[in-house]
Amino acid sequence: MSSSASAGESLANGRGARSRVGPWWRPHFQRRIELTGMAFVAPTLLFFAAFKYGPMLWAIGLSFTSYDMVSTPHFVGLENYDNLVADPVFRVTLVNTLVYVIGSTVLITVAALLLALAINTGVPGARHCMAAMFLTNLMPIIAVCLVWRFLFHPFGLVNQLLSPFGVGRIDWLTNSDTAMPAIIAVTVWRFAPYFMVVFLAGLLAIPDEYYEAAGLDGAGPLRRFWHITLPQLSPIIFFVVVVSGLLCARIFLMPFIITGGGPGNATRVLSMLVYETGFSYLKMGRAAAISVVLFAIALAFTLGQMRLFARGEENVR
Amino acid sequence: MSRRRARPWLRWAGFALLAGLSFLFVLPILWMTTTSFQAGEKMFQLTTEWIPSVWHPENYSNALRHAPFAQYFLNSGIVSVAVMAGNLVFGTLAGYGLAKFRFRGDRFVLVLILSTLMLPLEVTLVPTFLVVHAFDWLNTYQGIVGPLLIDAFGVFLMRQSIISIPVDYIEAARIDGAGELRILWQVILPQCKPALAILAIFSFRDSWDQYLWPLTVVSVDSLRTYPLGLVQFGEDYGNPPTEQMAIAVLATIPVFLLFALLQRSVRQGFGLSGLK
Repeated sequence: MSSSASAGESLANGRGARSRVGPWWRPHFQRRIELTGMAFVAPTLLFFAAFKYGPMLWAIGLSFTSYDMVSTPHFVGLENYDNLVADPVFRVTLVNTLVYVIGSTVLITVAALLLALAINTGVPGARHCMAAMFLTNLMPIIAVCLVWRFLFHPFGLVNQLLSPFGVGRIDWLTNSDTAMPAIIAVTVWRFAPYFMVVFLAGLLAIPDEYYEAAGLDGAGPLRRFWHITLPQLSPIIFFVVVVSGLLCARIFLMPFIITGGGPGNATRVLSMLVYETGFSYLKMGRAAAISVVLFAIALAFTLGQMRLFARGEENVR
Repeated sequence: MSRRRARPWLRWAGFALLAGLSFLFVLPILWMTTTSFQAGEKMFQLTTEWIPSVWHPENYSNALRHAPFAQYFLNSGIVSVAVMAGNLVFGTLAGYGLAKFRFRGDRFVLVLILSTLMLPLEVTLVPTFLVVHAFDWLNTYQGIVGPLLIDAFGVFLMRQSIISIPVDYIEAARIDGAGELRILWQVILPQCKPALAILAIFSFRDSWDQYLWPLTVVSVDSLRTYPLGLVQFGEDYGNPPTEQMAIAVLATIPVFLLFALLQRSVRQGFGLSGLK
């Protein structure tokens, strides 16, 4: 085959081969490899153009219109955003979403790290414990929601387990003070084991020598954790915080099934508002405006974490 | 190998603590399973009866009879297998393209792809619905599968996995005259089975779990996926929660099975081979 001959030639010539000009229908070897790479990525980019970037731009455009799927959209300027700011339900929902995202992210990260540290001590059976906990991450989310709705029932398992500790019978899901913590608890139960596995991989990658050297210097476990484990894990902590934050920002099913957004609006989150506004009330423009707010939160969260961790890296060095 | 050998009693205390914790984590799964065999009136007693005094396996057959769950599960299965296949194929292609090919703007493309993690369906719900509507795909399988077919997570995972494969293998294969797709199939893929296993499980689980999108795009009963059916089943009057739990157990089995099948590769893929 001629391609193999030209391959050997261009490898031998190194970069100089690029300057040789051939007919356009037979691009040179280097160029052909470049094109192959692009061709491999192209279907995914096209897909994202149709189902991610395009829709996002469309959402931004729609958010300045009034549209009900029947008549053509007409431009209303910032009216949708003005209405949102004035809407007490939206404001409550926005606060709920922030509380939920921040609360869940912090708790997931801390719980996952603690679990990973516990498993990494190498106690007997640690691997089986890890596998067992990981099952919570594989259970269908709809099953998770239905089961926990029953577990939080006044006669449910949660109250049964808490009663020896003198906790009275709490109706978790109909009390506006406990409904959100209950949903956050389910979230941590669901996602912490996954991130535990991520942390564990990071812990296993830290060279033993670091700990041995610290041990020789007489550093206790807490100092070893503070000066070796945490700095070494920093990129993984960043990954966990960002990914779990984005996971939580898009949460829909848990509040939708477990509390239905109630009591009142105590657990209503933005994604539920998008769905209801768009598809129950057919206010597509307004729903798009809420989507844009949700995207802005995700973007601000990600960029904020990037800045925070970039600064942390500098401090470590 | 364990990192720091602690004193024996400490090890056993650690074991007890971990075992207790794992038990707490698994408890809801056990509760779901035992409740699915329980009599309806036993659900809300003051203390949970962990081993049913009378077993009611008929909860399963009753649930399957009261609603067309066979059809719902079939729909979910078709959608999930299609989404899994799409993620495996396109995730690998794009991941390979980004890991082993330098072309103009390749870093920008990577950022562009990763940025879609901030654009989940929940954010783009309304326009995605309009896109699918424009394709005339409402109430079709391709309408449910379409927007879920590729996820940036898969692309990133495959890129990270392929990037560590020495480029010499690829160049040697090229000199031997292998086509680019053959290189991918015979040189790259055999070396990233763990990542493929992880991608298979997570993409299957994510579409098996998917509720909001089918809810938005499906309005006929025959195309409903099981999560929609299960929620409707719970809302319909007269269906005992024990039968809901039976369906929940049935829905859990495929994901657990897939995990059991691929467990070894998954552990490698997470880099946990060093764990005892």
